[in-house]
Amino acid sequence: MSRRIYLLSRHMLLFLFVCTCTRSLYAQDLAGTGIVVHAYVSQGFLFSSNNNYVSLKSSEGSPQWTDAAVNISDSLADNLRVGLQLHMYQLGEFGGSNIQVDWASGDYRVNDHFGIRAGKVKTVWGLFNDSQDIDAVFLWILLPQGSYSTDHKSFYLAHVGGDVYGSLSLGKRAGMLHYVAYAGQATIDLNDGYIQTFAQLGLVFTNSLGGKTYGGDLQWETPVRGLIIGSSGNMLTADGTAPAGSFHSPALYTPSMYASFTRGKVYLAGEYDRIPINATLTLGPTVIPFVADERTWFAMGSYRLRNNLQVGSYYSHFVNKSADTTQPANYSKDWVVSGRYDFNSYFYAKIEGHFLHGTALGYYNSTNPNGLAPNSNMLAAKIGFSF
Amino acid sequence: MCKAQCLMLLLASLASWSGASAQDVVLVANKGVKISEITDADLRGIFMGTRTRFADGSHAVPVTLRGGPAHEVFLRNHLSEGPEEFRSQWRKVVFTGQGAMPKTFDSESALIEYVAATPGAIGYVSRISSQVGVKLLTTVK
Repeated sequence: MSRRIYLLSRHMLLFLFVCTCTRSLYAQDLAGTGIVVHAYVSQGFLFSSNNNYVSLKSSEGSPQWTDAAVNISDSLADNLRVGLQLHMYQLGEFGGSNIQVDWASGDYRVNDHFGIRAGKVKTVWGLFNDSQDIDAVFLWILLPQGSYSTDHKSFYLAHVGGDVYGSLSLGKRAGMLHYVAYAGQATIDLNDGYIQTFAQLGLVFTNSLGGKTYGGDLQWETPVRGLIIGSSGNMLTADGTAPAGSFHSPALYTPSMYASFTRGKVYLAGEYDRIPINATLTLGPTVIPFVADERTWFAMGSYRLRNNLQVGSYYSHFVNKSADTTQPANYSKDWVVSGRYDFNSYFYAKIEGHFLHGTALGYYNSTNPNGLAPNSNMLAAKIGFSF
Repeated sequence: MCKAQCLMLLLASLASWSGASAQDVVLVANKGVKISEITDADLRGIFMGTRTRFADGSHAVPVTLRGGPAHEVFLRNHLSEGPEEFRSQWRKVVFTGQGAMPKTFDSESALIEYVAATPGAIGYVSRISSQVGVKLLTTVK
């Protein structure tokens, strides 16, 4: 108990420290130099009725969930911008005190139809992939985990390479098209959940693994005000060698289709994704197939009751079609209700209830040594600060 | 007589209602901006970060008020957004490395001063008494 109080105090102190430090940075650019600084920090708490979720000891109530980032950017010319974002997070056993480069890129926008971004760049896929770790922009504390898993995000969030992007007007009656196409290298961080999953299978990586990635996103801003329809596709390979063996995943194609509608105080969105995995684990002479056909969809809606108060709900459905879908280990179905209160433009608080059926997502042997109950309810809470 | 009075009252109410709904902000731009009218679609693109140029191809520099009634009226009438949604959209752009947030001002006088001094700048105020250094833009559907 005293350790939990110590941990809570430490995380709260870190949160308050960052908030105090950043209050003085409300100014948009540093002493008129044109260099702009922004930052966010959030502190979460998770309590579950059964099982320990995403490596937190959530069944006891855990505050071991901190996220922080700071970015600095400068416009060198009207159409040339450079920037860098540093990120650190602690999610139970994942993340840690190591600070990572979240993105670092140069962006040259020839015109509104065509631009180039190069460096370490956030990967656009589905509705939320590139923004999934920016807690301040969402009502939700946990996004639908079948599509945007909190414990596996390092592999999908960014790539080292380049993007081309732009917008094309289709005329007054047909709306606009926004496109992004990219190619590069993606890496699984050593502090990520995938690494722990491999370790559970006997493959302990000491160097990060990854592979080539390429893909794109096409988004149609329809003439119906507030309605967006889009589709993304991503090809991704992963290879890595550990002292005890290796992992190989040939190119896998992950499509995503989505739509969102915003009108006044109402927001509605839905997405369907598929991740077919056909990888192999080699442990000494033994080759273990690592096969899954992951299919996931979600539907969400929210309503703004007041300028500073928003409520909403979503349902997220995940199944591994290549296995027995009646077994809890092969599905995850989550009903979620959420509320967010903004104290002002910078500080906010969120609360969220999860009614989770199935154990396919977010659970690890290390924090669940006695097995898993098929269902669990969870309460999540977060406070955050952003400028 | 009573009917006529009621009719007058109804017409007066309608007039005052339509007057209130017609209340809008004044769009201001730097004197060097060549266009004199702008579509709501272009305005939305420029203020939501998907466009960086005016219809004539010149560079646009959007600026906003930090808050207040004029800010909310502009967002509602021209961008169909609430203040929170507008802020969230720009946070997403900034923290994913896709752009830089528009410069914001605490007062309308500071915003007008900046627009007057900055080529390509475009903003809005509740009313304007002097047009020194700025021009007014009208919106078209």
